[in-house]
Amino acid sequence: MGQGNVVEINGLTHDYGEVVALSNLDLQIPSGITGLVGANGAGKTTMLRLLLGLLHPTAGQISVLGHDPQTEPLAVRARIGYMPEIDCLPKDQTAADFVAYTAQLAGIPPREAKRRSSETLFLVGLEEERFRYLGDFSTGMQQRVKLAQAIVHDPDLVLLDEPASGLDPEGRVQMLQLIRRLGDFDIDVILSSHVLTDIEQTCNWVVMLDGGDLLRNGPLEAFDELGTVVVEVIDNVEGFAAILSSQGYGTSVDGRRLVVGPGGHEIEEAVVKAAAATSAGLVRMVRGSSSLEDLFLQKEEGS
Amino acid sequence: MTDQVIFDRGYRTYDGPRAGPSGARKAVFKEGLRRVLGLGRKARKKIFPWSLITIAVIAAAVFVGIHWAIGDIAESVGEGVPSYGGLFDFYSAISLLFIAFAAPQLLIPDRTKGVLSVYFSRPLTVDGYLSSKVAAFAALIGAFYIVPQLVLHIGLSLISDGGFIPYLTDNLDILWKVPLTTLAFVAIHGALVFPLSAVINRTGIAAAAFLGVLTAGSGIAARVAEASFPGARWVSLLALDQHPRIIRDHFFGDTVDYPAEIAGFEVWMSVVVIAVLVLVAVVFVRQRYRRLA
Repeated sequence: MGQGNVVEINGLTHDYGEVVALSNLDLQIPSGITGLVGANGAGKTTMLRLLLGLLHPTAGQISVLGHDPQTEPLAVRARIGYMPEIDCLPKDQTAADFVAYTAQLAGIPPREAKRRSSETLFLVGLEEERFRYLGDFSTGMQQRVKLAQAIVHDPDLVLLDEPASGLDPEGRVQMLQLIRRLGDFDIDVILSSHVLTDIEQTCNWVVMLDGGDLLRNGPLEAFDELGTVVVEVIDNVEGFAAILSSQGYGTSVDGRRLVVGPGGHEIEEAVVKAAAATSAGLVRMVRGSSSLEDLFLQKEEGS
Repeated sequence: MTDQVIFDRGYRTYDGPRAGPSGARKAVFKEGLRRVLGLGRKARKKIFPWSLITIAVIAAAVFVGIHWAIGDIAESVGEGVPSYGGLFDFYSAISLLFIAFAAPQLLIPDRTKGVLSVYFSRPLTVDGYLSSKVAAFAALIGAFYIVPQLVLHIGLSLISDGGFIPYLTDNLDILWKVPLTTLAFVAIHGALVFPLSAVINRTGIAAAAFLGVLTAGSGIAARVAEASFPGARWVSLLALDQHPRIIRDHFFGDTVDYPAEIAGFEVWMSVVVIAVLVLVAVVFVRQRYRRLA
């Protein structure tokens, strides 16, 4: 994957009249797979459209791959692939024709566009179906075609707006696997979703939006609250914490209350053993934020 | 027995040339032609456009045959067999059907199927998109008018008593009169059907609206143009479909007097009406698509 930030945003505000969609955002998105998280109406699609240069910000600056989408929209779009959330497929065209056409829209010569169309449809698992009309495709197949058109022209950055929307559980898993593979191909990804488990499984960087405000921006592993266990003991808090620390678990002590982790479900076992070893007197042990979703809800409540 | 291995071909990067915005415009133009002609679509999508094209070309060939049967081109034209100017009138109904079919096909499915969101995520501007669509429309409708004229021209050259080459050289003016007349037809029809197709979401309704506007305009103009109230003569200009015919008559000789001519307007007024309509259509459609992008 490339180095440096693919997106840099300073003081970004965008409103639709009286409705403020994004409010004074400052953030950097590095190379890799980034999840754009937020409830419906959080400003995710607005941000993607701003990155494409389809909307002009009310205030602030944006840089995408080193270009300003306001002043150089075509330069930005030449290097970006976009998978819209909405239905965007002409039902009377074959998958091969449509994907080849979208490659030509990005300036790829017709013969090469046809070849890349076949290769990309193979990659997304539609090689056998590529000469079928899009109107005959299932929702899962249509989502794959939408992904194929977004990557057929070898973009540096792909913006995916709710790519797993409408898919059954199996289709969702396959789509997320495909998205993870894009990282292996040196393609940076910004994935917008309100399904937080998708983000957890796919991304290495997370941007959380809520009502147009930035809740959080950072690497997924820095969301320390994920997979933690909250413990309350009666005595010997220091000894109890020391044992857990010696086993490699992060611990933060607040009076008689400790947050241990992050980690898997082996933490609970380690806590019980440490409590027994130190006679600390275990009063309470509950999971902290077990998922990004919990964390998001906590942040929303706190904001 | 051979060992069979399935290879994951992965993803191939592309380092070759990229045409940029001009490549995108060219792709939209070509795809517009393919959509209207039903190329790359199911067979039933081809039936309507190709039937109209076939009828138009065969009509021209039949007229060549009639001219040949009569023996003398001037005599056959005198007897009412259509020549260049008359051919425009003869298949006006077919050409209007083709226009009513083509323009909605060029604009509406992209919009209603959400494909615009893909177009405008590529290096393509609204103006680039619309200009490619207009170019596709002009190429299709222009060809629809010109190809039968070409068949007629070559046919008449072949049956001419004076011989092929002398007929061509004696009728060189056809080479600019036919394209200019065609341009007038394409311009006024495009100026009507594009705005309608930009706001109506069903191709059939847009086609019907286009034909309805033409019919209503001509009907109102015919009834009101000779009335005595002040400004009545200006109503004659509402016969929009007759402006290119007035231009055609200017080039090929009068056939009938249209309401605008009866009301005393010269040919330049028809040119002005067409130009104003085109200008209004360009501004309207551009504004509409800028909001959609």
